[in-house]
Amino acid sequence: MAMKAAVLRHVRLPASAAASRTLGLASPASGRWGGVFGSVFRSLSSHGDDHLSKDEVVDRVLSVIKSFPKVDPSSVTLDVHFQKDLGLDSLDNVEIVMALEEEFKLEIPDLEADKIDSTRLAIEYIYNHPMAG
Amino acid sequence: MASSAAAPSRSEVLSLFRSLLRTARDFSDYNIREYVRRRTIDAFRENKSLEKVSSIVAAYSEGRNQLQVAKRQSVVYSMYAPSIKSVMEVKGSSGSN
Repeated sequence: MAMKAAVLRHVRLPASAAASRTLGLASPASGRWGGVFGSVFRSLSSHGDDHLSKDEVVDRVLSVIKSFPKVDPSSVTLDVHFQKDLGLDSLDNVEIVMALEEEFKLEIPDLEADKIDSTRLAIEYIYNHPMAG
Repeated sequence: MASSAAAPSRSEVLSLFRSLLRTARDFSDYNIREYVRRRTIDAFRENKSLEKVSSIVAAYSEGRNQLQVAKRQSVVYSMYAPSIKSVMEVKGSSGSN
């Protein structure tokens, strides 16, 4: 009985409006990856500390983009736009997002993938993704 | 009876591109996987500047047919996947030992 109470205490979800709103956010079509969702999810996750650090995400994202053959590595910064700054086209954009999927072992739905068109967005998306590995 | 199909939208074309690349990943054979990737990228680049609607429609439907072929083949190949990986896939192996 005490065990059950102890377990329930850990599992019980916060009754705040913010939490119930974000936890109801299951559909990918919502597209709102705001920090609230990310942080609530992460604090409830049983994975604990094995989520990637921001630095690691940044490093790996930038190295994926730098190793793309058509890209000049020296022009890759934290907030560079693939098509406007790096001179890539939409096909390259798709290729880069696929390369990021492979690097972080993710499956990014088309709707979200179409929005990722700069290093900043890529870093943000991957950092907030609970399954990034 | 001539049916004039409408040209696919930009996002449909990109979606087809992405589907082909994703299907490539399903192949366990390194050679086929790389071929599908390379061929997809080359074909889409080659047809990038098509202007005539009929050519665009033809290229798009050809792409869709190829996607179906690739999907079927990835299933067939997975039934007979070799147990030995290609040397290109062995990570960290450096030439002679």
